Amino acid sequence: MPTKKRTNPLILVVLSLFSLACIIPFWLVLTVSISDENEVLRNGYSFWPEKFSFVAYQYLIQDSGTIVRAYGVSIFVTVVGVIASLFVTSAMAYSLSRRDFPLRGALSIYILITMLFSGGLLPWYLVYTRLLHVQDTLLALIIPGLIGGFNVIIMRTFFTTSIPPSLIDSAQIDGAGDYRTYFSIILPLSLPVMATIGLFITVSYWNDWFTSLVFIQNEKLYSLQYLLNKTLMNASFLQTIANKAYSSTAQITQPLESIRMAMAMVAIGPLVLVFPFLQKYFVKGLTVGAVKG
Amino acid sequence: MKWYKKGAVILSSLMLSVAIVAAGCSDNTKDGSGSSQPSGTGGNEGSGLKPYEVIMVYPDAPQKDNEKVQDAINDYLNKTYPEMNVTVKLNPIDWGAWSDKTNLMMASGDKFDLIFTADWLNFQQQVTKGALLPLDELLAKYGPDIEAVEKDYHDAAKRGGKLYGIHTHQELGNPQGLAFSKELVDKYQFDLSVFKSGKVEDLEPMLKIIKENEPGVTPLVGPGFPLDAYYGSSSTDGVANVAVLDIRDTSPENMYKVVNTYEVPRYMELAKLTHKWFEAGYINKDATTAGLDIWKKFQAKRAFATVADMDIVANLDIGVPMPMPSKTAVTGTHIIQVPLNIDRLQTGKMAATMQAISKTSKDPERAMMLLNLFFKDKELLTLFNFGIEGTHYVVKDGQIALPDGKTSDTVGYYHDNMWQIGNQMLNYTRVGEDPKKYENYEAFNKKVAEKESRIFGFVFDPEPVKDVLIAIDNAKKSFDDGLRSGQLDPEENIPKLLDKLKAAGIDKLMAEAQKQVDEWRAANGK
Repeated sequence: MPTKKRTNPLILVVLSLFSLACIIPFWLVLTVSISDENEVLRNGYSFWPEKFSFVAYQYLIQDSGTIVRAYGVSIFVTVVGVIASLFVTSAMAYSLSRRDFPLRGALSIYILITMLFSGGLLPWYLVYTRLLHVQDTLLALIIPGLIGGFNVIIMRTFFTTSIPPSLIDSAQIDGAGDYRTYFSIILPLSLPVMATIGLFITVSYWNDWFTSLVFIQNEKLYSLQYLLNKTLMNASFLQTIANKAYSSTAQITQPLESIRMAMAMVAIGPLVLVFPFLQKYFVKGLTVGAVKG
Repeated sequence: MKWYKKGAVILSSLMLSVAIVAAGCSDNTKDGSGSSQPSGTGGNEGSGLKPYEVIMVYPDAPQKDNEKVQDAINDYLNKTYPEMNVTVKLNPIDWGAWSDKTNLMMASGDKFDLIFTADWLNFQQQVTKGALLPLDELLAKYGPDIEAVEKDYHDAAKRGGKLYGIHTHQELGNPQGLAFSKELVDKYQFDLSVFKSGKVEDLEPMLKIIKENEPGVTPLVGPGFPLDAYYGSSSTDGVANVAVLDIRDTSPENMYKVVNTYEVPRYMELAKLTHKWFEAGYINKDATTAGLDIWKKFQAKRAFATVADMDIVANLDIGVPMPMPSKTAVTGTHIIQVPLNIDRLQTGKMAATMQAISKTSKDPERAMMLLNLFFKDKELLTLFNFGIEGTHYVVKDGQIALPDGKTSDTVGYYHDNMWQIGNQMLNYTRVGEDPKKYENYEAFNKKVAEKESRIFGFVFDPEPVKDVLIAIDNAKKSFDDGLRSGQLDPEENIPKLLDKLKAAGIDKLMAEAQKQVDEWRAANGK
């Protein structure tokens, strides 16, 4: 029921403050990335660059090989990962939503367990390196994120509450098999939840750097986020070495402040683009389970 | 009843398909690490050694031409030492990923052979977990060239009487002191010879003048403080964590008395001094912010002085001002260094850069043979450190230079890893460095070795007080930065800190440290 009541000003204030808290750091990163490096050194960060300079971006374009490649890896992993993951997640969720599925209870509990406990880092690592042998391949970036218990549960709730069982019954009376029902009836009806969960998965694939850290040795397969993370971690680590290893030989060159910020800007790109398009499904996909009518 | 059966069928078919997928994957990607490939050395069957690939794990930024260099090293090894029948696989790991990755590799039993390690990179835990092999016998048998230079410096890497790491042969310590912007020193005609005393206190009048006359310039830039290595090295011999010997206390009965570093009088002196300077505005307020780079402030000409490790130059001595080549190169402005202290020979420093052999090595003997080569073969060292001649470097007047038109970013193999392995003294220097760098090191090492720490050779076994050490680290954390940088008033905060340490169980640590020192003395006749 849409109402035309005015929003409580207090809420407006709170929300504005919250948005500001999100926007200000973002703005700061942007200005530093287009500031003159020496100005940054001299005056620290400021909200308006005293001297514009696009050197950082020029540098990134010049040295674009690594970044473009990492971009490619990230996009490939995200696209393939999201499609595969949506398929696996929805297939699982759909099966669980069917009351006539015999292992429903057992599998639900199994999923619940994965949400509460994790196997720990070492077994996780061993599964991918010893059992599947996917280290140093793109598969290592895709498989670990394929399915998440939380997403399955959300989808299952969507299927059970917003798709009437009678629809499935009638499809089957008309002669549709299980696969036909799933692909032709269920999937088209579940666009909102697919978009929502799809966005979750996109974000998690796009932002993931840890799997790269653990499984990827080959520089060519670094994902964008890992490249970024690595640059920052290395910079802070190099200072520790300078203090501890007594290496007067180690010449420590840190990437310039503005280049780091420019890299951060470049990495946010696609997500900012994807978000507005999927946003309209967001509320629907998440709440539909609880509120009917 | 019926659906149970159906379920079982589905489940088992699922498992089967997973197994098939797994098997398929393993076929595709199982090359490399597992098996050592024969390296086409048909002619040396006579030596009786089967071909073996030594996997070297060390921290480094990824190098584009890693494989090219690896091939070149293998060609060289094959040509020069056919009887060893050894190849290498270079397995660098990024600094940022180092701890996570090496921990996983060790915990999961991945096969590798040589690994870089250090007391500040979990050496102790690696030994405790049994991830490293004891090296004594291997060293005696296959490490003559290591022994030739490192024989006296193994104690630091011994745990339970067994040796677990081989120290890189290099500088044995560091000089600490003050670095100045030459421009400002010249402008105000400061007399730097006052530092002959080795006392950082003599800096104060200069800071005052700079503060009054140079707005916008930070007189003393942190994070580089008197309470860092300058205090640690000039005033104490470290025993374990906060437990130290006060070396300014020279009364015979206190020579080996373990004390808390925060209770050493010199600590209080320096903490008060730093606090005074901070209050006077001599020290930058953001000095403890992570990631702050002192030298960038010098580059921007916004800094006058800092406390730092000095370059090891010829004729280095306390209170003698010299140009500081490394930082002059980094900042592009002239930097002068004045050493205030020279390390004594400390056990801890020998554990700061080491190579160890992994428990998972299939042929530790060959790993040791290879490590030994890094202590005698200049050509091998050069390949590892500088890459392939003509491609990654050229030799100009006996020094290493980048090929024309290349920068360190574009050349494909450029790192400064000399300090991680082998005998550094055999290395080339880079253009821009003092060609006599390593002679300077030798001279400097003599100076360091002349003055042994009171407990040189002593290594603390943390096992009995492990929990206490963690509690102490936590207690220190909230005070250390504030005290070092002068932001906290020591007269008010050191007593607070001492209370916290007491609650953390410092008495237990002190008793244990004293006990171990006494036992060591008895065993070594000190």
